[in-house]
Amino acid sequence: MHSAVNIGRIGSKAWTELSILFRIQFALVRDQWVIVLLMATVFPLSTLLSMKFMFGATTHQIMVNLIVGNIVFAVIMMGFNALGQEISWQKHQGYFTYYASLPILKINFVMTQMLRGMMTTLPSVVIMAAAGQYLFDVRLHYEWGLIPVFLLAVLSMVGIGAGIGFWSPNHQATSNLVQGLMMFIGFLSPVMMEREQLPLILQWIGYLFPTTYAASALREMLTAGWTKEVSVNALVMLLFVIASYWFIFKIIRWRAAE
Amino acid sequence: MNLLEIDRISKAYKKGKSPANIDISFSIREGEIIGLLGPNGAGKSTLVKQIVGLLAPSSGEIRYRGVNVLKQQRRVSTEISYYAQEPHALGALTAGEALLYTGILRGMPRREAELQTRELLERFNMGDLINRRIKKMSGGQRRMIGMGTTLIGNAPVLVFDEPTNELDPLNRKLVWDLIVEHNRRGATIVLVTHNVLEAERVVDRVAFINHGRLLEIDSVAQLKQRVDGRLKLDLTAAYGEVERLIGRLEGWGDIQRTGEHRVRVYVSKERAGRLLDWMIHDESLPIDEYAVYPPSLEDVYVYIDERKAGIAHA
Repeated sequence: MHSAVNIGRIGSKAWTELSILFRIQFALVRDQWVIVLLMATVFPLSTLLSMKFMFGATTHQIMVNLIVGNIVFAVIMMGFNALGQEISWQKHQGYFTYYASLPILKINFVMTQMLRGMMTTLPSVVIMAAAGQYLFDVRLHYEWGLIPVFLLAVLSMVGIGAGIGFWSPNHQATSNLVQGLMMFIGFLSPVMMEREQLPLILQWIGYLFPTTYAASALREMLTAGWTKEVSVNALVMLLFVIASYWFIFKIIRWRAAE
Repeated sequence: MNLLEIDRISKAYKKGKSPANIDISFSIREGEIIGLLGPNGAGKSTLVKQIVGLLAPSSGEIRYRGVNVLKQQRRVSTEISYYAQEPHALGALTAGEALLYTGILRGMPRREAELQTRELLERFNMGDLINRRIKKMSGGQRRMIGMGTTLIGNAPVLVFDEPTNELDPLNRKLVWDLIVEHNRRGATIVLVTHNVLEAERVVDRVAFINHGRLLEIDSVAQLKQRVDGRLKLDLTAAYGEVERLIGRLEGWGDIQRTGEHRVRVYVSKERAGRLLDWMIHDESLPIDEYAVYPPSLEDVYVYIDERKAGIAHA
């Protein structure tokens, strides 16, 4: 009975902490809503229009792959690029002194950064899917299973994003690192194309990154729905989520003691 | 009772670079106001960041209520509130949100946090700015909000790093008053400042730190006794005559040039009468103005720093 009450109390405290930290992050979005809206609209629309100009007479399947690839790319970028850059920026702006001196959990800080990233990325994903359907008549497969797969895809990359941000020696270095990773993930991993289309060595390297499983699961969900392949990828992503949590709790430090 | 024990703390940020703290040991008693005084770059801020657990010492240990601060981070961050100067992280929030959210994150019930937010803003004469974004405030107002985020929640230990920097005289006075009030309600205060004159009014004990080392720690009264028997004379030399004045004063005491035309002399009480008598009657002395003061905490600091530097050079 006592332990149930304690768990309830801890849960309630963690929820309060999470919601307050989210409100602080939301204030940053509220403060820059024009830029956020512009970025969320301009990026998907310009991507789709340039694809229409470049691949106007291509096959329906290639368009499906490109649109799904861009949606997956946006989700993956949010998972570690936006998270890593944001945490790094906050670290070098001296924000950690405020947060780390409060009795709050580091994981809640990371989660609210991720939620903030989702707030700024989700609109562009939705616009990409809707405009893709309108411009190219690409019919994507929507079902409830997309929500857990989407969350697993983002959460499986939180460890990488948090590591990039917390260990950043300076913001310039972080920026260079994520640019390099974007190049790698964009062109050398199975995000924008099928795994089988890549050279064997890159296929093997791809197995080490959660992005590969996130891309496969999301692509499959958006084109065919929940299949056995999605289940396998979701399971691997779950392992990456567990590893990310362990990594953030045990390895990453923002106070001296951790 | 000792609340915090700083036990042989040394801190070096990088190998090969001069350490920020070298073998510092002292205790902080429950309910006192202790000032860590010293010039910029002395190692004071590094020390307090270790006290609040934001930095780990290279060697040594800091104990809070008998337990290493690094082994009870949650308790330390709950019971020790640290003033991190401007609240950079909260720039997008309004003043009211910043204080309210910080209070809740410190564990206060929402209603209580709302009440204290209003009280603090009223106290800062910023009640009408409750809905103003922090980043649209002046530097001084932002620092007062930073002060509010430290005070909200009434933590038993408050650590302030240069709390009056960039504040106008009225707000400086308000900050010192608030520090004293919180101490009277039972809070232990650790105060980092290089503003020795202002700190003298509020601190119970002083730890002088320079070049990473603890030079001296004692009560203000005890420290002043170290230089008791000395008086301070501030002299303004006639135009272009400061070098000649210094030459003529040699042998009377410790002489410092404090400005283009200004000279300070520390002289023993026994000799002070004779010196003043000579200054008044010898019209060949190139002095435009003079003033005599009893020793202040700043003089104690200068005296101790010079003595320690002398010992180090010897």
